[in-house]
Amino acid sequence: MDTIILTAEAREVGGTRVARALRKTGRLPAIIYGHKETPQAVTLVEHDLKVALAHGARMLELEIGGSKKPYLIKAVQYDHLGTLPIHVDLTRVNLDERVQVTVGIELRGVPKGVHEGGVLEQDLRSLPVECLVTAIPDTLHPLVTHLNVGDSLLVSELDLPDGVVALTDPGERVATVRALQEEVEAEPGEEGEEKSTMPEVIGRARDEEAEGEKSS
Amino acid sequence: MALMPKRVKWRKSQRGHIRGKASKGNTVCFGQYGLQCLAPGWITGRQIEAGRVAATHYLHREGKVYIRIFPHKPVSSKPLETRMGKGKGDPAYWVACVREGTVLFEIGGVEEGVARSALVRVSHKMPFRCRFVRRRYGL
Repeated sequence: MDTIILTAEAREVGGTRVARALRKTGRLPAIIYGHKETPQAVTLVEHDLKVALAHGARMLELEIGGSKKPYLIKAVQYDHLGTLPIHVDLTRVNLDERVQVTVGIELRGVPKGVHEGGVLEQDLRSLPVECLVTAIPDTLHPLVTHLNVGDSLLVSELDLPDGVVALTDPGERVATVRALQEEVEAEPGEEGEEKSTMPEVIGRARDEEAEGEKSS
Repeated sequence: MALMPKRVKWRKSQRGHIRGKASKGNTVCFGQYGLQCLAPGWITGRQIEAGRVAATHYLHREGKVYIRIFPHKPVSSKPLETRMGKGKGDPAYWVACVREGTVLFEIGGVEEGVARSALVRVSHKMPFRCRFVRRRYGL
């Protein structure tokens, strides 16, 4: 996708309270680092960043004090509910640079094996890849409809775009259709009655034995 | 049978306070969809079991249900018609203390509509407001 241009302002004062006050005004604290230069604290407009993230942006072009430069979004911190971004990490990059990033894997389709009673289990949720900074792929959507019970989709079978290299073992499993294990259901009679069993208290049995020896 | 620990160091515990918001256990980790609580509170082993049964019955043995919480805390109570005093009562049930934002249940291996319907049924068994959440694949 195209690089999104945002305006950033340099941030002079750091700290939790300052950051909190900043968020109330609709701006987000961010940090820029990389290329062995000194880290620079900046602020971004929260709404613009949310729009960029919603469009799957991995690169941002920031205008700081009149100069425009590309930056790679390294990490985004969210609030406790995982909805609002609270801080962003950006790294300095050159447009001809190869970078190592993690790309999500979202499976597509219902495997044949699931119709035969299997369960689809995703073993690998994200894939570390190396690629050009301008060609970072979005989330991968491999098709799993051909998998039978016991079959697996391997990293080597993923259809990666040109110039993108997976950094994990090619034989690593992405998804597997496993046979369903029989679950032992409690009988209706057992469910109703509450068992009065209590957990074993660590050290209690030993103490009681010692007391018994003393009394005898 | 309701969940409870197998071994404990102490039979009874003090009530304690639930302070703050969930800083861990607040993302979908194992499945694709999850049920996140929107208020702090205690959830009993029976309620967790009721949620599990509601989800597994709805899914008809499809997909996989993950329980992300466990009742580690004993809650004691005195028998009925007992005078006050004579010490703390015996443990009556076990609870999990959850903070706002904790993911309680997760479901994987089914389509979103099915997972949503199953988790709505689970949320009716929960003692606080919950919401449906998806796994975050990108940033």
